[in-house]
This record gives sequence, C-alpha cells and structure tokens, in this order.
Amino acid sequence: MTPDTTPSSVASRRVHVEAPHDSAVKHVTGEARYVDDMPEPKGCLHAHLVVSPWAHARLTTVDAQPALALSGVHAVVTAADIPGVNDIGPIVPGEPLLAEAVVEYVGHPIAAVAAETPALARRAASLVRVEGAPLPAVLDLRAAYESEHWLRKPVEMHRGTPETVLPTAPIVLTGELEVGGQDHFYLETQVALAIPQEDRDMVIHSATQHPTDVQHLVARLLGVPQHAVMVEVRRMGGGFGGKESQATLIAGIAAVLARRTGRPVKLRLDRDTDMIVTGKRHDFLLRWRVGVERDGRILAVDMDLAARCGWSVDLSPAVISRALSHADNAYFYPHVRLRGLACKTNTQSNTAFRGFGGPQGMIGAEAMMDQISRSLGLDPLEVRRLNFYAPGTDRDLTPYHQRVEHFRLPDMVERILASADYAARRKAVDAFNAASPVIRKGLALSPVKFGISFNKVELNQAGALVHVYTDGSIRLNHGGTEMGQGLFVKVAQVVAEVFSVPLDTIKVTATTTDKVPNTSATAASSGSDLNGMAAMAAAETIKGRLVGFAAEHFDVSADDVTFADGMVRAGNHAVTFAELIRMAYAARISLSSTGYYRTPKIHFDLATMRGHPFFYYALGVAVSEVAIDTLTGEWKALRTDILHDVGASLNPAIDRGQVEGGFIQGLGWLTLEELVWDKDGRLLTHAPSTYKIPTGRDLPLDFRVDLLADAPNEAPTVFRSKAVGEPPLMLAISVWLALRDAVASLAPVGYVPELHAPATPERILWAVMAARVATEAKDTANEHA
Amino acid sequence: MRTEIRFLLNGQSRRVTGIAPHTMLLDWLRSQGLTAVKEGCAEGDCGACSVLIGMPAADGRSLTWLAVNSCILMLPQVDGCAVVTAEGLVGADGMPHPAQTALADTHGTQCGFCSPGFAVALAALSRRPERDDETILDAVAGNLCRCTGYQPILQAARVLPVIEATSEEAVMAAALCADCAEPLDYGVDGRRFVAPHSLDDFLAALEEHPDAWILAGGTDLGLRVTKRHEEPACVLSLARIPELHEIRRGERDTVIGAAVSYADALEAVTTLAPSFGEMVRRIGAAQIRAMGTFGGNIGNASPIGDTLPPLIALGATVETVSRRGRRSIPMEDFIVGYRKTVLGAGEIIAAVRVPYPQPTTWVRVYKVARRIDQDISAVSAAFALDVEDGRVVGARVAYGGVADRPVRARDVEAALTGRAWSLETARAAAPAVRRSVSPIDDARGSAAYRTAVCVNLLERLWWETAGPAGVPSTLGALEEVA
Repeated sequence: MTPDTTPSSVASRRVHVEAPHDSAVKHVTGEARYVDDMPEPKGCLHAHLVVSPWAHARLTTVDAQPALALSGVHAVVTAADIPGVNDIGPIVPGEPLLAEAVVEYVGHPIAAVAAETPALARRAASLVRVEGAPLPAVLDLRAAYESEHWLRKPVEMHRGTPETVLPTAPIVLTGELEVGGQDHFYLETQVALAIPQEDRDMVIHSATQHPTDVQHLVARLLGVPQHAVMVEVRRMGGGFGGKESQATLIAGIAAVLARRTGRPVKLRLDRDTDMIVTGKRHDFLLRWRVGVERDGRILAVDMDLAARCGWSVDLSPAVISRALSHADNAYFYPHVRLRGLACKTNTQSNTAFRGFGGPQGMIGAEAMMDQISRSLGLDPLEVRRLNFYAPGTDRDLTPYHQRVEHFRLPDMVERILASADYAARRKAVDAFNAASPVIRKGLALSPVKFGISFNKVELNQAGALVHVYTDGSIRLNHGGTEMGQGLFVKVAQVVAEVFSVPLDTIKVTATTTDKVPNTSATAASSGSDLNGMAAMAAAETIKGRLVGFAAEHFDVSADDVTFADGMVRAGNHAVTFAELIRMAYAARISLSSTGYYRTPKIHFDLATMRGHPFFYYALGVAVSEVAIDTLTGEWKALRTDILHDVGASLNPAIDRGQVEGGFIQGLGWLTLEELVWDKDGRLLTHAPSTYKIPTGRDLPLDFRVDLLADAPNEAPTVFRSKAVGEPPLMLAISVWLALRDAVASLAPVGYVPELHAPATPERILWAVMAARVATEAKDTANEHA
Repeated sequence: MRTEIRFLLNGQSRRVTGIAPHTMLLDWLRSQGLTAVKEGCAEGDCGACSVLIGMPAADGRSLTWLAVNSCILMLPQVDGCAVVTAEGLVGADGMPHPAQTALADTHGTQCGFCSPGFAVALAALSRRPERDDETILDAVAGNLCRCTGYQPILQAARVLPVIEATSEEAVMAAALCADCAEPLDYGVDGRRFVAPHSLDDFLAALEEHPDAWILAGGTDLGLRVTKRHEEPACVLSLARIPELHEIRRGERDTVIGAAVSYADALEAVTTLAPSFGEMVRRIGAAQIRAMGTFGGNIGNASPIGDTLPPLIALGATVETVSRRGRRSIPMEDFIVGYRKTVLGAGEIIAAVRVPYPQPTTWVRVYKVARRIDQDISAVSAAFALDVEDGRVVGARVAYGGVADRPVRARDVEAALTGRAWSLETARAAAPAVRRSVSPIDDARGSAAYRTAVCVNLLERLWWETAGPAGVPSTLGALEEVA
C-alpha cells in the first residue's frame, strides 16, 4: 500500500503546523516524570558501581566482604554472579557487562552494589577491595593509529583508480586533522529501574533510545527468553546517541542486582560516574592526500579516517562506515580511497553521538576544501562550487557508488549568499582585518549533505500500534523513543492527520517492548521517517475499515466517505468521528491495528562498502562570521545564517528547534568541548566544571535560521518531510572554518592555518602564533631577497 | 537557641528536624516528592536544580528573590527563607507562572530536564524591571540546556512580563523573621549546624568547635559533601551575622563584609573599578553569585579565586577577627600556599578593605576562560597602572591561575615602572612575566598557554589604555560596536 502523502486540506491540517511539544507544559512545571522521578516501588534498593582505577590491568582480587558487612547492603555482584551470558556487545559479542579477568579502561565496571540508600551504596562500593596487576595501556589515538592497534580490521571505500591518478595530479596536497570527541552531556544522566516480577520476569524502566536492545540483552544476561523482559521508556532527558547502546550497561546492572536481591533496584549514575564510565563521540585523526587541478578541481582523494573506539567495539564499525560515507560531504571525488581504521585504546568505549561519524568524515572534506583553496589562493566558495556533485552528469557518484539525486545544495547556496549578504560581508571582513591588529574576523560558508537511513539495512523498519476507543479517543504506540526531539508530537500529528481529528484526540504513550516488538534504536535521524510511516499505516488500516463500514452503513460508495475536522461525511450523512467509532464498534469493526514500515530501495554491502545505503539526503548550508582575539585566542560568534532543508516539515517549530539545537551542539563540539585524559588514562573532564558545553551567551550575536520553503521531499517519506535530528549539527563546521579564516588573515595568501578541532582559545592562540611566525619568515625571506 | 529549621516551601510553613544537617536541599526536596528539582551535576554548574529563595530584607518587610542551586545548598541554609520550586511556581488555580507559560509557548523545551530550572531562572528574572539582552543572558547563564540551542529560551525571557511583589510577600517576610528570631542550633546524631546572629557568638562557637566547617555561601564548601562525600561534624554559618553583610563606603576605601555575596557586592565593586565589576559579573553565574561571598573567595585561597588578583592589584587588606582581636593583613600576604592562609586558630575573615584607586589610575582586570559564563579562569590578571606624561610611574600587577596561589608580579611592575608606556615596553616586560609565573598543565589549559596569555595581557593593557582610538582591542569592544 502506498500511503497517501498529501495532507487533507490546508484549513484542517494537523501536519506542517507548529504544534507544541506534547510535554511542553509538563516540562516547565516539573510534572513530566523521568525515570528517577517515578515513585520508588516498595523495598527499592539503590545501586552503585565499583570501577577500575587502571587503564589496563589483570584483576587479582575482588573482595566484596567489607561492603557486605555494612548493614543495609543487600548484594554485591561481579561477573561471576551474572545468571546468563555476561555480554552486552550490541554488534559483536565480547563486551562483558562486568569485567572478568581484565579491566581495560579507568572506569571499567567491575562490580555493583545494591543498598538501601544511594549514599550507603556509594560507601559500600568504596569498600569493595579490588586489586590488580597493571598491564601496558594504549591511551592515545595517534599512538594506536601509528602502531596499527586495530580493534577491527580496516575497511575501505574505493572507486576509480586513485593509486594512479593521485600521484600524477598537477598538485598534490597532504594534510592531517585532529578532530576531538564529545561527551553527550544529556542533562539526565543514565538511569534504570529494574523491578522483578513473577516467573523470573523483569520490568525495566530505562532511559534508553533502544528499548529493544535493553530487552534483548537483559534477557541474555538473565538467561531468560526475551518475552520475560519488558522495557518501558516514557521520555529521556536527552540522548543524542549516548543512550543508544550504553543504556544497556546501566539497565543490565540494575537487572542483575534486582534478580540477585529479588527487590527493585535503581541505578542512576551521578554526573562524574556517567562521564567516566560511558562512551562518547569518537575523536578522529584524519590524514589525506588530495590531487587537484590548478583551478581547485579535485582529481583524487586518499584519506585515512582513524577513530578512537576505546576498549570495545560497541557501535564503532557502523560509526566508521558513516564517517567514510560522509568524507565526501557534498563533493564529487572522481577517484577515491577512504580507509576506516578502528583504533583500540584503553579509554571509554566510544559510541553513537548525533551524526554518528558523519561529522568527523564531513569535516575532513571541508578541511580539504579549505586547504585546497588557501594553498592555491582561490576563493573557498568557488572551490566548493566547482567540486559539488552534479546530478545528471558524470559527476554524481559517491564513494559508495550511490548516485546523488535531487541535489538542492547549489541552489540553496545561491539563496543564502543573497540572504546573508555574503559578498558585501566578505569585503567588510577583509577591510576590517586590514585595519585591526588585535581582533580579527573570519567568514565562511559550509554545506551539509547527510545520508538518511541506517547504514545497516535491517534496522530500517518500524512498527506501531494504534487503538481507537469507543469515545473516539486514540492511543498511539510506536517503537520510537522521546528524548526531547519532538518525535511523539510529530507521529501524533501524522495519526491526527489520517483521521482528521484534533491533535488532543491522540494520547502518546510510553514506548514499551510489549506493544511494539523488535524495534530499532531511535537514532540515525530516522525516528519520524520510520515511526511516522508505521503509525500512518496502522491508522490507515483502521481508517480503511471505517470507510468500508460507513459506506455500507450509509449505503454510499467508499469514495464518498470523507474525514474532515473531526467529522465523517458519507454522502449526505455527517457524524462526528466519535459517533462513527461508536457505530463501528456496535457493528463489530476492529478498532485497533498494528502498522509496519520498511524503507524501500536501500541496500548496502558491508563487505565491499558499496550500495545504495541512503533513501535520500538531508541538506543544509550555513554562513558564519566570527571574531578572534589574537592575544588570548578567545573568540566570539558574530553571526550565523542557516538555510536547512527539512522537506515539507511535519512541524516547523520542532524542526527549527532541532536545527538550532543541533547547530549549537556542533559549535560546542568544534570549539568549547574538550575531553582531557591524564597520563594514566583518567578522564579529567568529567563534570561541567571542567567540561564546557555552550551556554546562552555562546550563541552567535545574530542568529538567523530558515527552513527551505516549498521543498517537499522527492522521496516518498511521511508527508514528504525530511529527517532533521542529526544533519544540522554539521552546519557548525562553518564556525570552525570561519575561525580558520580569521587566523589566515594574519598570514599571506597561500598560508593554511594550523587549527585542529576543538578550536579552543588555546588552539586558536597557537594557530595565531604559527601564522605570525610564518608571516615573519616570509617577510624575512623577502628582505633577504 | 532554636533547634528546628523553619522555612516556607511553596508557600507552606515547614519545620524540619531529624535530617542530617549536611543534607543538600535538592535531595531533601526530591525526597518530599518535589521532583521538578533535578540533579544534573551536583556541583552548581548546570542549574537543573535551581529553586527560588526569598530572603527577608533587613527590615523584614519584603522578600528578595534569587535563583540558587539547591544541589550545593545545605538544608539548614534556607532557614528563615521562602523556597519555591517549579511546582510551586504554578498558581493555586493550577495556572503555570508566566515564566513557565513563556517557555512552553516559545518552544523553549525539548527534553525538558533542564526546563524547571530555566523556569525558576526566568521567574527570578520576572521580578526585575530592566530587561536588556545582558540582563537576560545573565539570568540564564547558570542553566545549561543541551537541546534547544537557547534561542527560544532567550525569546521567552524577552516576552516575559515584569511581575510585581504581592502584599502576601510582606506578610511572609514578617512571619519568617518572627519565626527565626532566635539563632539556629540544629543537631542530628551529634552533627551540628549553627548559625549565630553575632560575631561574638560565632567566635565562641568556633572556639568550641575548632574543626568546624566555616560556611559563608557554600558554593565551594558544598562540593566537599557532593563530590568528595565528606560529612562534617559541625558547620558554623556566617550567613546570619549582620555585620558581615555590610558594605561600608568610606572616603578612602570601601569595606566589603565577608558574607556579602558577589551579587550584592557588584555595585560597590563596579564603583571601585568598572573592570573589577566585569570580573565579578563573570564569577560563576547568577545562582553562584547569589550565594558565593567575598569572604569565601578569599578564605578559600584558591589559586584561581577570581577576586584575588584585583584585590592584590588594588592594594586591598583583609580584616580578620578572633577572640584575640582584629588584624589587617595585606591581600598579597594573606595567602601563603595552595589553599593556605595566615589565619590562625579561631580567626576568621571579617571583611576586605579596598582603597579607591586614583581617578587617573588605569585599573584593568582580565579573566581568560574557555567560556564567558560559568567558567573557571585559565588565567586571570589585574593591573593598576599609573602613567604620567606617557611614563609609567606606578604599577601593581597580579595574576591568578599561574602558581599555587594568586601572585603579585613585582618583577613585572619593575619592568614597567619608569619606562615610557608603549607597546615596546609592554612587550619588553615578557621575560619578567615569565619569571613571575609558574603555571601547570591541566584540563583548562597548558602551562605554555597560560604563560603566553600572561605575556599578551600586558599588550592588551597597552591597547586598551594607550592604543589608537577606533581600533577594537577586545571582543567586548567589538560587540559594543555591533
């Protein structure tokens, strides 16, 4: 069945309107409950982790007796106490819930305590005696890369003959970029509440983006069938990928302790523990050789993308796959080789984070563009335009052999150049810099092309369950989770649109594994695309039955039955939606249905890294202007203009929030947020006192965000909308490029700034000083000439 | 002495006994089912735990409302105050507070976890008549949001109406003052929290409990409980001693009482030197400045205490008091090592006396940090420079974040004094700067960066005081132009 993707009528629209977040009022009054806010069940115990103080060590002693001796301590569990299989690897096995013989990072969970209060559990955990024999540790990404300390074997994306084309190119440039990691810093730390049931069943309230993963892995840990575990999540206080696979660790430990004690157990990580224990965005080391024509046109690219995976695999292969498939960004590479290198380090196991490797690949493409244009003394904008994909020509094939279609970017670039007054501001920035010795400005444009769909094809499916009750109210369940992104209201809008009923007719409910099974993570920006379609299918099924019933009941043709504004008309008859439901019930019409959706058209071969992994591309473009202080490296975002393509937005207010929030999160990643480990592998930045995410004052002074108007998705998505969760994060690359532009203003044409990411004040100051040294060297050379 | 904690919670009178005195307000509120108050960091850095505190004014006729971080506020600290959580902002009729409505209407919530804290911050803002962008940014600087990118929250702040005090508040203030007329001496299982009302009583209590924690605002002390998990046997609070809350502006100097909060000191400090005021405005964020005190910053003796370099540069003296008498100690001599002061047993900081700089003296205070708001300095610096006829005739220079304590850089002063005040002089002092500082590498920056910045700040000083007109020499100047 092809769902109707045209909204009913403009006047009665439920989609394409700015409906508020379903929980907005509950959020601000505090009525909205998160897992830690739920009334604790009788006898609830609190858990605390015992973690490794070593980056790498063989465990020799784990003695829980001192902890168990405390009154009020009910259990201490180690790997030996796990009833089922001690493994929570989401992609490949080999990730124990609790360490067995060896610990592999500072923070590696070894044991867990359940006690009557959180404070007692903490104290007891500190009494568990852990001894170990330290082993050599690899703490540094560069060291892991250079010593080929791989966690998985290298993967390669390849097209054409870069081996022969590159060396013969008129100009060959080499480059290297360090791209920092990022802590998710969801405001709600990881938490789960496990409540034992009869029959060895377990109910888990988990702050997870992936209830099914929690369910399946907890079942494996407990040695029970999947049907014995039910996972529920009403909402999360932010996820951003950090609660995709990593939430399983927290829920798993709570479940093991609950099984052991027979009592409900809650594990909520405090901020420091959360940051020390859980994985983050992968930092990357990018190294490339690029062959170009003298006009800046790329002939061939050879790039290594080395990712710090940390101690275990987690989702890293998929992250690397996405990094490779975004290392082209919006540009055609005629000949290309991209190598993905999964580096093993004795640090947290890095995981999903908004963009999922895409940002790290994309910034490589943009760094190359910057390098090419500056090295050749060309306009960076011209070099980008020159290298854009050109559908309909022979310049449309990606490194993974998917053809780029419906490429709106060149047109979007022209639009933003006009709306942002780019040309005049470029001149103004240059004029300012010519007369400003201390403060320098920079201006840059960067595009985003982000592939939509999970790279792993099987994940691109979703289910929903819609019930209509006899008063006409509707209860909507689907497999997606709400972490703040507004998924619930968007999917409710879709169902309201199908039935043409007011939005408040629909009750969005907690996501539970017993209503919709075998779901995919709410990730990869796919939440609305997948669950919206599944919910629409469920609603359409019920609607089809209602139409059939009404046609028969009122003796009209099915074509004459219409739903509009809470009313149903059948020929000359009109009843309210609720009246029709009551009549349909009496006539024994089923008022409940599941819905199912799988994304069409996509395929991808992980072995050859070829296929058609993306249903479509989400696109955006940003122009940012910054000023730097050349004495301290401090800087300020002066203005950012964004034009982002969300197709025919299901909810422009929600989508705008994703664009703005994603951009600011990206700005944090590339400028403020820095993860620092000491020489022993201890994370030093494990709380907001040392790890700085953006505040309100870090916004550009002038921040203009536009959604591309009148641009329905060419791909048949839910009401022709586009995914929006991740792509806007990468618009912040424009800020990083603008900082480079400001630094470059200190040096002669041809100079490429040495500025990695995050561009902290310290790195900016070093880049400034390097640029000045280069200038002086050149001046000296000229004097001698 | 009064042995129960008395306060108003969301308009209801509460009397608490039997709860450990170092229990944080956040934990207690959540135990009462008030789960709008969230823990995001337990160190006063994210604002998710924000609540409103209404402190009775000195005359007992009104309440002054401040947003504070409940995660680092010991429960007995709210004795005598009105406490309002996001739940309590909702009116008796069930209508959300205008701050809550504004946040919801502007799509200012996404995941919602930070939202009650923002509602509280905006509710505090709603009581202030002025509403420019600076005020708004200050009001929300202590609240982190990871979802929205802040734009809709700032919009909510802009459309928020100004809300006047109700007559009910005067009644509440009077009742609180009457209820809490007697000093609090609160104890549970041998642990005590004492808040004397006079300096004499405080010093007597300190003699009785020489190892007691001395609490002013608690914005740093609270972390010993929430992060280091220490449990104090006795806490002695300075917060209820009127003398320590005084700001006395004399003819030659201003005396700031040890328990004066940063927020309350801001105006006086700005009068002393606008640049010092700017620095104080960048200490923590509104929630921290509402509670944190001058005395606390000095007594903490941290190498990165932001008030310390300017106090050294301005030639301030620390006034101490003990049962043995009073002493005046130059600020630069007060701190003698990493978090070590010259304070003797039974001796506390009573005030800091700051002389007015000469009108011709250039006073510049710089805080260099990764983030403008709610960040700890990588380096701070303060300069008091006297220039006559283009020549430096006097210089006091101090740095923070460059050694185990804030340092006065006499070598730098010597390198400047007597020379023409020029860019060359500023640059030529670089070796003296390098001799004066001995920073370390940490999460906030490398030693090399800190040193380089200290050197460059002298150049900044020149650009700001003697540089050509029309050339912006700071990012702030740029914003003013924009």
